Amino acid sequence: MRLELRKLCLSFGALRVTQDVDLVVESGELHALIGPNGAGKTTLINQISGEYFPDSGDIVLGDRTITRLPAHRRAAAGLARSFQISQLYPDFDGEDNVAMAVQARSPGGFGMWRPARSDPRLRVPAREALARVGLGDRGHVRVGELAHGEKRQLELAMVLASDASVLLLDEPMAGMSAEESRRMAELLVSIKGRYTILLVEHDMDIVFALADRITVLVYGQAIFTGTPEQVRAHEDVRRAYLGSD
Amino acid sequence: MSTVAPPTRRDAPTSPDAGTHRRTHQRARWFLLAGIALLLAVPWFAQWSGQPFVISLFTRFVIYAIAAVSLDLILGYGALVSFGHAAFFGLGGYVVGIVAFHVADGSGLFGWAGTNEALLLWPLAVGFCALAGAGIGFLSLRTSGVQFIMITLAFGQMFYFLLVGLMYYGGDDGLAIHTRNVLGGRSLRDPRAFYLVCVVLLVVWMWLCRRIVGSRFGMALQSLKQNRKRSVALGLAPLRYPLVAFTISAAGTGLAGVLWANYALFVSPDMATWQKSGELMAMVILGGMGTIVGPALGAMVYLGLEQWLTAWTEHWMVVMGPALVLIVLFGKRGLYGLLTAFGRRRG
Repeated sequence: MRLELRKLCLSFGALRVTQDVDLVVESGELHALIGPNGAGKTTLINQISGEYFPDSGDIVLGDRTITRLPAHRRAAAGLARSFQISQLYPDFDGEDNVAMAVQARSPGGFGMWRPARSDPRLRVPAREALARVGLGDRGHVRVGELAHGEKRQLELAMVLASDASVLLLDEPMAGMSAEESRRMAELLVSIKGRYTILLVEHDMDIVFALADRITVLVYGQAIFTGTPEQVRAHEDVRRAYLGSD
Repeated sequence: MSTVAPPTRRDAPTSPDAGTHRRTHQRARWFLLAGIALLLAVPWFAQWSGQPFVISLFTRFVIYAIAAVSLDLILGYGALVSFGHAAFFGLGGYVVGIVAFHVADGSGLFGWAGTNEALLLWPLAVGFCALAGAGIGFLSLRTSGVQFIMITLAFGQMFYFLLVGLMYYGGDDGLAIHTRNVLGGRSLRDPRAFYLVCVVLLVVWMWLCRRIVGSRFGMALQSLKQNRKRSVALGLAPLRYPLVAFTISAAGTGLAGVLWANYALFVSPDMATWQKSGELMAMVILGGMGTIVGPALGAMVYLGLEQWLTAWTEHWMVVMGPALVLIVLFGKRGLYGLLTAFGRRRG
């Protein structure tokens, strides 16, 4: 499914955090969003996922305009997101966490009778998603006791289990060790092409290796979009972002 | 560094955890069955010991236990601190009281002769409370945190003053009820019969609540409590689940009010004071939030201590207050947590 942003604008008071952003993520594309700290990357993700509504402009998912759709209804429209800081259920174990993602996408959420924890329709897909991210043997550990890297993996498992076709991944490797990052990158390679992915990431090596196209965001403006080679070669981008690093 | 799990943890991932979990679970089950058996034995104990007031005391315990379990549904599983739940207790009671009033003087209510039949009247009263709960919940759940506490308190106080203002039904003095409702045509005048009805209702209600919290609905409710942002991103409607839970909770609290009216044969605005809401909360916290069984135990211990300590000093809160503070500080899941986890740390 295709994701398109049309002339998206958002201001917090005098601060223009998103300025006329046009962005297209083609179906099946892995599109990276890069830019210096404070460029408005997460704010942009938050508008797509519905945490904030833009002041003007449109968000189009497939052939549906979702600009004003409440956040909880965007999941049904085919959107899933991960958070820069893991957003998990600390009192649940890993499998419960992923099972919530499965439950949220399936009908019958108001079932009050059948025990959810022994429902194979929730548990089997949950275990599959855990195995996919490499947490197959950690499903019964309470989230509070998981290591940081495992929490990031769990976060991705929830996104995968929610059965969306468009994934918004906000720094999935934030705070990971080099080894964990490498495994996460492998994981992203393994799902690439099957989903439409908008990826926010700081590690340029990973971005250049993974992304089909890259958009550079500076002060809320999308200053350039192109393939990794084009971005590397682009003078403004070097000055605005890569050079300063 | 904290990002790397030690290899041993990876090798033996779940077994110690799962083991303790199962043991706690089994212990909880035995604990529950023993509790129910004890409750059922109370009438015989009263007869054997020649102290019939014990039945009356335990009837009170059981009725409040139903209210506490109901409150736990939203307090323990939804983190919704309702400071106005006594309103539903009062409403349930007043439906019984007002209908009894009109039945007694034969005046009828909006052209309805009224009824003394519990099978008709009790569901009606509980339905009323559910309706009120849905309305109050719908308005209150637009807020959260302290504002939610304040708005439920405000609704509770409004209802309290409404009852005080009902001069026709006794106002401040309340309303005496001439006779207990009949159940399927059978009298409930015998304290033992009425007590057993209350116990059966408590057990059924606890069972229903446990089903609810373990269901998909219950999981969604708990997920919203733990991380609302995540639940919304997954696609769970943030208002609907708490609202339904609030409605069910109001219905259960109303049922307790209905039983109280039948027990005391008297209803008054005192049933709906904010202090009563606070007491219900104290019972839930004392017994253990988010455990269903715990709050039932909490209600009994709270009222038992009140009974025992008031015989000793009028300022019984001097003892209860610090006890509550200690439970909140050290008992993670109240008395229930202490009982079920007892001996867990060994081995």
